[in-house]
Amino acid sequence: MATRLVLYFTASDHLLYRWSRRGLDFEAKFTADDLGVDEFRRYLQGRVGALVYVVADLSGEDFHEDQIPYLRGADRQAVVERRIAQRYRDTRLAAALSLGYVKDERRNERLLLASFTNTQQFVPWLEALAEAGAKLSGVYSVPVLAPALAARLGTRGRNCLVVTVNRAGLRQCYVEDGRLRFARLERTVEMDPEALAAFARAETLRIVQYLATLRAVPREGPSIQVVVVAPDEQRAIFERTLASDSRLAFRVLGMKEAARKVRLGSLVPGAGAEQLFLHLSARAAPKEQFARREERRTFILWKLQRAIVGAGAFVFAACVAYAGFEWYNVYDTRGKIEAQQRDAQDATQQYQRITATFPVPQASTELLKAAVAEFNGIAARTAPPETALAYVSHALDQFPRIELDSLTWAIERPDARAAKPAAVPAEKPAVVGELAQVLEISGRVVGIQRSDYRSVTGEVQRFADTLAADRAWHLVRKQLPFDVTPDGVLSGDIGEAAESSEAPRFTIVVARNLK
Amino acid sequence: MNLTGEELKKLLLPALAFVLLLAAGAATIWYVQSLRAQEAQRLTAARAERQQARDRLSRIAEEEREVNEKLAVFQRLKALNIIGEERRLEWVDAMSRIRSQRELLDLRYQVERQKSLNTVKGKATNVEFYSSTMRVELGLLHEGDLIGFLNDLRNSGNAYYSVQRCSMTRTGQSVTGATMAPRLRASCQIDLITILSKGAAS
Repeated sequence: MATRLVLYFTASDHLLYRWSRRGLDFEAKFTADDLGVDEFRRYLQGRVGALVYVVADLSGEDFHEDQIPYLRGADRQAVVERRIAQRYRDTRLAAALSLGYVKDERRNERLLLASFTNTQQFVPWLEALAEAGAKLSGVYSVPVLAPALAARLGTRGRNCLVVTVNRAGLRQCYVEDGRLRFARLERTVEMDPEALAAFARAETLRIVQYLATLRAVPREGPSIQVVVVAPDEQRAIFERTLASDSRLAFRVLGMKEAARKVRLGSLVPGAGAEQLFLHLSARAAPKEQFARREERRTFILWKLQRAIVGAGAFVFAACVAYAGFEWYNVYDTRGKIEAQQRDAQDATQQYQRITATFPVPQASTELLKAAVAEFNGIAARTAPPETALAYVSHALDQFPRIELDSLTWAIERPDARAAKPAAVPAEKPAVVGELAQVLEISGRVVGIQRSDYRSVTGEVQRFADTLAADRAWHLVRKQLPFDVTPDGVLSGDIGEAAESSEAPRFTIVVARNLK
Repeated sequence: MNLTGEELKKLLLPALAFVLLLAAGAATIWYVQSLRAQEAQRLTAARAERQQARDRLSRIAEEEREVNEKLAVFQRLKALNIIGEERRLEWVDAMSRIRSQRELLDLRYQVERQKSLNTVKGKATNVEFYSSTMRVELGLLHEGDLIGFLNDLRNSGNAYYSVQRCSMTRTGQSVTGATMAPRLRASCQIDLITILSKGAAS
């Protein structure tokens, strides 16, 4: 972290403090001449990159109220710079503090133009800082910091006067609506406390009269709040001397109390109320200050660097925060997984406890089921031939004229036998692809003349119908002694010589699907 | 404020830090999100496993009945020596015994090489089914001999006899008083199925 230095710039001498969150530590004192500048340069040699705040506490500080048209951005900046240039011959250290807008149709902006009567006294010191590579945060003045102090001291009402006993003298700052309106510094030379308190009262009355002439405060009206920060050991004297009246309402604070309110941890021995302003310049530097942008270039670049890294850190922090949220979800999911696994394990154990009572051990149950299921599958694809043979035998009992030559029983697909040539196709074809018991019956018709083809055909047809009478069986194919189908070839030899003793032969194929 | 080249160079390091922090943040999110996705998958699997276990538990009564049913079948198979290695000698004994008991005139058989039955493809079990096809030719006086033969064969055990084909034809020989000649000739194809289980239920 860069070293923070605060240079208290007065007309007589300049004091350098090192700032930390604890407070201020006195570093060095420089005379306000060339010798002091040289010493300052030597001091800065070992402190490259230090962050420096210059706080001026000079009597020669000019304040001038002005108005500019209601503008924004670069236009406003151009107008402000023109007004400053019109007001001050040397614009190197000048500031325009906004006092708000006039409540009329034009809404002009009120500006408080501020600069130092002698800006040249700053030049060698600012050059020394630039040469040393120090980062100039800005050139502030005690009045510019007064609104911040007034806010922290807890002033009531819209307007107040902040009176502090500084090393440079008695500083009076008039703050209107939280903005600096006017300030002045009166030198105090070796005054005893009573005299200092009386001087403070007298100067306060004077500044109020002056402000009344400027119409900054009403001539008649409610009392003006005056906050006075006095050395602790003189607080009682100040309180006694600064009695409130109809015009002024004094409120005296000791240094310790004021330091506590601005969160200044420790006070520098021998220093005045200026340390409150110095602390505020480093802790909460106001936007308004006197240095030009060119003089603050190193500081702005440093701020830019910090902003880039800060943005990265912010993004990283946001990512980490989001990752933390996601991690919480992961953690939550893991909890759910464990709960599910516990539940599954409980169910498995319960299942195992129950299956332990089974007639076979749990390990063999799966094997048993697999073996039997497989076996049942095989058994379902087979059938005993005895029932089929008995079925044929029962049918044959009704047809004494039919004699069998051969009988084939097989487990096969019936469609394999359905497409034989010269065969009468089945009325109800078997389901293609399914295994079935297939019976192929070949036989003869005896006791009927071969020439009586109608009787022979009728006998075979009736036999086939009987075989297919049971709905479980269906006719796959029949080959009659005489091919009477339109697709077949019908031939004959009619005559005495044509009579043959050979009985007409037929073939019938029936099938029954396996369950 | 326009920045000079020198000033821009001074911004390089912070810019690099910004990029690194951004990358680190993105990597952190990516890691945690991938972890979350993995855990979500694990949760889905755990839920499925739990559901499976719960379903199995709820079906326990049905499973008990199924086990009892299958156990009866299994024990029957075991009693018939269908489970275990092939017993070819026992088959030969059975054929001889049936022939003499049934007084079959002629009986010829041939058992082919054993082959594996892959009835359920891709199912990894500890149960293997094997089949050996036996071709039998019989001389019969009447068809009842074939039925009796098949019945005796089944009862002899040592395999599950799956008859695939049987055909009967007349021999054309007439019965004479002097000699017993077969009137029918039967030819059958029977699969002799055995089950080989590794660690079968006792």
